[in-house]
Amino acid sequence: MTTVFLADDERLVLRSLEKTLLRAGYDVVTAGDCRSGSEVFAQNEGTIDIAILDLNMPGFDGMPKPGAGLDLLAHLKEKKPSLPVVILTAYDEINKAKDAASGGATAFFVKGREQGLVELIQNILASGQK
Amino acid sequence: MSSSYDALHRHATLLKAAARAAKAITTIVDPHELLQRTVDIICDEFDFYYAGVFLIDPNGQWAVLSAGRGEAGRAMIAEGHKLVIGGNSMIGTSIQNRQGRIALDVGIEAVFFKNPHLPHTRSEMALPLVIGDEAIGALTVQSEEERAFHDEDISALQTMADQLAIAIHNSQLHREKQELLRQAERRGRLLQAANRVGREVTSILELDKLLPLTVDIICEAYGFYYAGIFLVDDANEWAVLRAGYGEAGKTMIGQGHRLKVGPGSMIGACVAFGEARIALDVGEERVHFKNPHLPHTRSEMALPLKYGKEVLGAVTVQSVEERAFSQDDITTLMTMAEHLAVAINNARNIDALKEAHAEVLRSKVFEALTTATTEAIHWIGNKTLPISLTIARLQEEIAEDTIDIESLREDLDMINESARQIVQVKEQLIGAVREQKPRPVLMADAIRTAAIQRGLSPDMVAVDINPAVAYAVADSTQLVRAIGNLFRNALEADARQLSVTCEPAETRGMLKLTIQDNGTGMTPEVIEKAWSPFFSTKGSEHHGLGLPAALHVVSQLQGHISLVSNPGSGTTVEITLPAARAIGTSLESASSASIFLVDDDDEWARQFCALLEAAGKKITRQTDLSAIPKASLVLVEEYCAFISIDEVLKNLKNAKLLDKTIVLTAAINAERTTEFLRAGVSDVLLKPYTPEEIAEFLK
Repeated sequence: MTTVFLADDERLVLRSLEKTLLRAGYDVVTAGDCRSGSEVFAQNEGTIDIAILDLNMPGFDGMPKPGAGLDLLAHLKEKKPSLPVVILTAYDEINKAKDAASGGATAFFVKGREQGLVELIQNILASGQK
Repeated sequence: MSSSYDALHRHATLLKAAARAAKAITTIVDPHELLQRTVDIICDEFDFYYAGVFLIDPNGQWAVLSAGRGEAGRAMIAEGHKLVIGGNSMIGTSIQNRQGRIALDVGIEAVFFKNPHLPHTRSEMALPLVIGDEAIGALTVQSEEERAFHDEDISALQTMADQLAIAIHNSQLHREKQELLRQAERRGRLLQAANRVGREVTSILELDKLLPLTVDIICEAYGFYYAGIFLVDDANEWAVLRAGYGEAGKTMIGQGHRLKVGPGSMIGACVAFGEARIALDVGEERVHFKNPHLPHTRSEMALPLKYGKEVLGAVTVQSVEERAFSQDDITTLMTMAEHLAVAINNARNIDALKEAHAEVLRSKVFEALTTATTEAIHWIGNKTLPISLTIARLQEEIAEDTIDIESLREDLDMINESARQIVQVKEQLIGAVREQKPRPVLMADAIRTAAIQRGLSPDMVAVDINPAVAYAVADSTQLVRAIGNLFRNALEADARQLSVTCEPAETRGMLKLTIQDNGTGMTPEVIEKAWSPFFSTKGSEHHGLGLPAALHVVSQLQGHISLVSNPGSGTTVEITLPAARAIGTSLESASSASIFLVDDDDEWARQFCALLEAAGKKITRQTDLSAIPKASLVLVEEYCAFISIDEVLKNLKNAKLLDKTIVLTAAINAERTTEFLRAGVSDVLLKPYTPEEIAEFLK
């Protein structure tokens, strides 16, 4: 079973994405910020196949931080360099996308095109992208 | 004997006449009047054919006729009649020798000047006018009689001539004194004018006001025909008229009057060379600009407006008199020009500063808009995602017929919650920009209503209001919204205690509302973004519109809002608002209605009850509805601290009093108003605050 690690501070986004991914047949582990995200990842590192991280959420200090998802990205890549990571954002800012790419993100996904997210995950996993 | 007696009598008469003439002469101080009246007095007293007074010119070469009897005198003065001192005229030799002369038979007097204006003269006496050792002129008296004068007459008339010389001398001294006085007065007036320009320079920073005022001051204080101020354009090519006196000035400014910088005009040359130019007779001044709007100019002065080495423009001052400018004029006008140059430089600096400030403001506004837009997009994305995602999933489940009721319920809840948050934001955005209807609002009531709305318990909020600023000019609904937003922020920052004070602001007519909490506080970075819509540090459930909405409401009321905060030491928000005064009035006691007021024992309720009781009305106030008193009118406060409006209305319905019930609120809301009316109340109204409003309400 493929496990998706999902981190987003928007409760409804987190839950609705979780349900969509569950329905698509994935196992899902979730977190609401960077700190809990690193803990959840540490507990499930061996089973997590892909991570979907919100760009803007509370950082490792618990305070809201623009681009905190990139910090978690760096943390996860350090722990597991082969992990494919999708950065999720509500705002398609080119510079942030470039930062995500240079930080090792596999994809940059803008909220609002959610129907394509499952397909994107499938493609990433199928192609073995990291 | 008879001849001797006649001679004595004649001499005595002469002496008496001389004395009378001398007496009359010495009472006259005006120089022109003195000379003219002297010749008339002498002719009248002595019955002479003619008398004239000659005064020596400044060069000491000529004796110039300064006054003469009758037509002959006027004609000779008009011709500029003058006689050389010395020479062969009686006057000339009399002055030269400082001795009187008599020509008894002028026909045979070799030195007599054959004067065509005085054809009947047969005798003439010339008497020098002497002060000390100095002759200042001479007096001529002439008679139609031959041998009219005797040698002894010389001494009699010389006494009178001496008196005349003294009178002339005194008159000249008087004139000099008057001139000195006039100069002193003018100098004082000029200095006052220069000082006034100096003062205005420091108080008026707008050139469009200062420059016209300056030309007015120059013309009015100096009595000049025209004054104008030119400023050099950016290209340093033209001196452009920016202020001009009177109609001529208005017309020229209307025509965009300007002069090329350079030697083609006085102003142009003055600006080009940075030097003052004075044309005392402009007809002779090569560079003078022949200006059809100022046809009477005979003297012109152009003074540069210099700041350091830079010539900013020039002042032109023009007079209808030739050689009009005194040294005092030039000195004070130059001082004035120096002051003016400083003012112009300051005004330009201020303009540059304003432009820089506007640029910063534009940049800040753009930055704020960008931040707000980014946050809004982020927010909208996050709120709509659960809706679209869940609907897509539900559509799949329906298509596959795999709907799970529990999951469906959760999905619908998520859609509902997302939609509710979007609607809330809509109200936050629209609410604050609704049209405001400012009126005197009781601050205590607005604060209390906001606190109850936001669920603050009374012991959490300490309110202290200075009675001098009990009322603000505000829209009560919007003010409650703004204060409520600040209370909510405090609660969300984990504040346990709030202090609210209201006191007179430093600016007259304003009050200062201070809301201080002991919450978590904010970092400088958060404070910087706090005013941006959709910026929130409080998680996804928050809209980040509270402070921007409060800012909008306060700004609309011509007030000001600011906040001070530090992490760990809470936040203090200060709001200034226009203060209002509630004018006391008594109510007419026309109605004998008994009123039941459902409200806490708060500031508004106490004032309301006191006013009605003073007018002899029966009013009962309580929130305990276990025993509802009989009443012809029931007033219900929407926000009571310990009982909800729903519960109040339920009780009133049971007591069958809803149709006599009016809900009063500080913050009216369309949805709740509809709800209350559907429940059966008679009306929902804004609370009346001032005695006038209460009187109007009771009607």
